[in-house]
Amino acid sequence: MVVQFNSGDITDMRASLLLADPRLSRFDPLPRIISFDDFDRGHCGWSALLGNYEGSLDTILPGYRDNTNPMLSTLSHWDAGSHGAFDGAYAMKVATKPKKDALSVAIKRLTFRKACPVRLEFYATCKPEATDLSLSDRDLKSIGFLFDLQVGDQTGPNGQRVMPHLRYLNARNGELQQKWQFKRTAPPVAEIGDSAETVSHFHLADEGWEDLTGGAQKMAYNEIATKVNWHYFRFDFDLETMTALRFQCNDRVFDLSGFDSIRFPAMKNLWCMLNICLFVETAADKRAFLYVDSVCLSGDF
Amino acid sequence: MLRESVTYVIARNETWTGAAATEPVEAGWATEAVFFVRALADPLADPEGRLPRIRAQISPDGMRWIDEGACAPMPASVDDLQALRVRHFGNWLRLKADLPDGARCTVLVTVHLK
Repeated sequence: MVVQFNSGDITDMRASLLLADPRLSRFDPLPRIISFDDFDRGHCGWSALLGNYEGSLDTILPGYRDNTNPMLSTLSHWDAGSHGAFDGAYAMKVATKPKKDALSVAIKRLTFRKACPVRLEFYATCKPEATDLSLSDRDLKSIGFLFDLQVGDQTGPNGQRVMPHLRYLNARNGELQQKWQFKRTAPPVAEIGDSAETVSHFHLADEGWEDLTGGAQKMAYNEIATKVNWHYFRFDFDLETMTALRFQCNDRVFDLSGFDSIRFPAMKNLWCMLNICLFVETAADKRAFLYVDSVCLSGDF
Repeated sequence: MLRESVTYVIARNETWTGAAATEPVEAGWATEAVFFVRALADPLADPEGRLPRIRAQISPDGMRWIDEGACAPMPASVDDLQALRVRHFGNWLRLKADLPDGARCTVLVTVHLK
């Protein structure tokens, strides 16, 4: 006997399967899961963002020189031992160097097979290094994420490289800020080396960030420097129109009517690029950590 | 499940002088670590011709460090490579070198964990 399902049955069955799976039940993926990174399974294809260079590492733009490799962490603390992840033992840790305004970026590099809506979801938390016996909530500058995208090679002469950025500016110069910002101003593109083959641009500089309308949000920092709580982040973006569709952090969904992305003319070797970056900045001469429990990237295809 | 293995670059094109160290490595999931230290330029010894040894260090918290015991010479010339092997390190690892006044070495340090 052949059992036939209609599309409604399949949708219901899929929803039931997702809801019954403890790994995926806390996500709301679009129909196709492109990648699901649970760092209890390892590094899952996340690495350090490295600036472009030619001939010598000295040619890397200064903003990229402090990037470190993301590592698997149990959120081990001197006073309470291992905190552990949302579930399981390990989270991915992105760590800055211990100098004020240092930045570190983890990246996962993909391409897309259909220009369609995609959804990035992840559970994360952040903290400064517990070098002081104090709250230290002003020592972490920001956490954030971005897509680095480019149209397919058949798009035509007006194709773009598009980089939607969002960061949670937690503190700056000793003052809490606690607000979401975006960036749409393209940084200058620098020639690297002398072969005319390599360019670079530092798109995560502190200049050019704009406040997201209604983007003030208070999160669960907790009460000492070694207690953390996990937060949910979701960002929907349409690869066909290259526009943002939705941004959510925990219980808040933000107005994106004023949002736009950094945009460049398409570059010669980045077709169909779909990169995800997660980053953290420190506001003090101590390390800041972004911990990521899991990341789900899904697409509507 | 296939065993996890990873390479981290923990000092990239850094010029070490004075009390120098790599960034901390958190690696409680791994049972063995191999460090490689490569000089990216000819090291400069101090006026008495000295370059220090590189020491592996362990830590209970990533902030307070003690020597683990493994050590190796600093690379002697550009592209010279030195290695240190460490096991039973707990959760935290790094490399440390105390360069005397006038000495310096620009290094690429990697650690290979599994």
